[in-house]
Amino acid sequence: MEKVDRRTTLKLMGMGAALLATGGRGLAQQTPTADQLVKGKNPKLIVLSQRPVVMETPYDLLASNPERTSKEILYIRNNVDLPGYNTVEGASPQGWKVEVGGLVDKPFTFEASELFALPQTEVTMVLQCSGNGRTLYNPRPSGNPWQRGGVGNVTFRGVRLKDFLAAKGVKVSEKALFITAHASRQGNAPEFVRSVPIHALEHALLALYMNGEPLPAVHGGPVRLVFPGYFGVNNVKWVEKIEFAEGENTTAEQVPRYRVPVIPNTHLPFLPQEPGKRYPYTLQNSRPNWLVTLNSFIFAPLEGQTVEGPYVRVEGVAFNDGIVPIVSVEVSTNGGRTWHQAQLATQGKAFAWVRWRTTLYLRPGQHEVMARAWDAAGRSQPLDGNIAWNERGYEYNGVMRVKFTVA
Amino acid sequence: MEKAKRLFFPLGILVLGLAGYLALGQYTLPEGPGKDLVLAKCQACHDIGFVARERLSRDRWDGVIDEMVLRGLKITPEERAAILDYLATYLGTQPPPTPPQAEASPAPKTGAQVYANCQGCHGPQGEGNPPTFPPLKGHVEKILQAEGGRAYLLLAVLYGLQGPIKVEGKEYTGVMPGFAWLSDEEVALVLNHLAGWGAPQGFKAYSPDEVKAARAKALSPEEVLKLRQGLRLP
Repeated sequence: MEKVDRRTTLKLMGMGAALLATGGRGLAQQTPTADQLVKGKNPKLIVLSQRPVVMETPYDLLASNPERTSKEILYIRNNVDLPGYNTVEGASPQGWKVEVGGLVDKPFTFEASELFALPQTEVTMVLQCSGNGRTLYNPRPSGNPWQRGGVGNVTFRGVRLKDFLAAKGVKVSEKALFITAHASRQGNAPEFVRSVPIHALEHALLALYMNGEPLPAVHGGPVRLVFPGYFGVNNVKWVEKIEFAEGENTTAEQVPRYRVPVIPNTHLPFLPQEPGKRYPYTLQNSRPNWLVTLNSFIFAPLEGQTVEGPYVRVEGVAFNDGIVPIVSVEVSTNGGRTWHQAQLATQGKAFAWVRWRTTLYLRPGQHEVMARAWDAAGRSQPLDGNIAWNERGYEYNGVMRVKFTVA
Repeated sequence: MEKAKRLFFPLGILVLGLAGYLALGQYTLPEGPGKDLVLAKCQACHDIGFVARERLSRDRWDGVIDEMVLRGLKITPEERAAILDYLATYLGTQPPPTPPQAEASPAPKTGAQVYANCQGCHGPQGEGNPPTFPPLKGHVEKILQAEGGRAYLLLAVLYGLQGPIKVEGKEYTGVMPGFAWLSDEEVALVLNHLAGWGAPQGFKAYSPDEVKAARAKALSPEEVLKLRQGLRLP
């Protein structure tokens, strides 16, 4: 046994000195692919992190499924991995206990399996990581290098939290200004806690299904507290405690993470920063990534594509927080000097994305198309997304530009 | 401004597109003073690619460390300073300094040095850190005694392990990252270092070639767990 020392190993190595310059070269094929990390995922997904699991939908896959994002290709952004939950299969609701408490007259605990017998509501909504588009900021903020694929359009089905409380005869106190949800800590998982304004109770859903199938374990099954119109991080997976509270919780997920600088109670959506600088995030000088910022994506043509001319179909999707309707999407092929209205597939308020399309008459050669959405509240997208540069690269919604060639 | 942006954008898209398609395993920490400390402290929660892919100013790294302390990272002020120096120098906004020429023939590594990657969780002497991190001392010996244990141990180091396990009668349900980014030599060294704490009669030292062969088929941490469940461990 004493043989296994440094000398033996070195001998085994043919006395060659270990040159350790590039451990990573050639390992690309050997790091697990998306389907190896999470059972049932499309192997094309881009793995941004193995632990916690973070994977992005390649843009062409996202764009080729404009109606709905399937569980096989939907992005994953875990802050916490639950051991055994890395699969798109459902998770058993039997014995899954959820506590409801805080500022309510009758705190209670229920089992997830109870929910299946209650009236169900469906909502199709955009699920988007607040870091989506992070790589478009310059200089590069810290965090997962999302391009644009940290987003999906999915249909959740479950029990409305409001109806559930009413059915239980539970009243929420007037003092409750926030809903705070805790994710399960099973398997020694670190804590994950998020607070949203009480306003979110209006549409909050205890989701049991996604796209008509049991909610995948990796996406929060058996039960996830979903807030339509809010960024991904607020939709707590594997929920095990729901509290009604007077203030925001102060765990790291609420502050300093997942916030952008603001001047409190002003209409400015964010306080512009000098790119590259640090910011001392507090509850007072910043706001959480809550409501989804208005955004639009071009799904066709794709970057670098060559398309048949002269009539070119340009299409994509647009979405906001669902509080007011999207009223217009316009496209420009001259750098924003003139804009041309696209047709919207649907009218009215929606948590889902709305599809838009238009046909342009374009000469052969290189073109760049831009798309910009507007909603009924007069909100739109900055031409230069970098105006919203923030240390962690959240809430990018700059106008998207796509370069393509007309044959 | 407009011109700069037009230049930056396609370039950026190109570079980022490339970066996005490179798996995390492509990112390893550059050699430099403090590297082992960074590995020991960061890998308890992250695969190291998570850290190695960043390029931040000293000021912003400082902020990142603050946030990690908030989330439970335990470091002394001296360790903190050394980590910040390393991160700001080697993962900063400027390219790192070229190492002095003396580095041309680096001193051969020892298993104990490679073990710096492990001790953040498993402890300097393999004593473990219940309830999250199981001990290695004493336990590795039992693994090596079990049929198939030798191959399993190598795969656990390469590809990590996830799920509930029982070690010395205690339950653990942590997640161990894979260390596929270590060189074949380094993996062999560290495995032999573990075997140095106890191995069965006639134990044959791990060789770099053996490690190389094990890389042929990547496993997920959960597949490694299945292998472990197939072992007859006491």
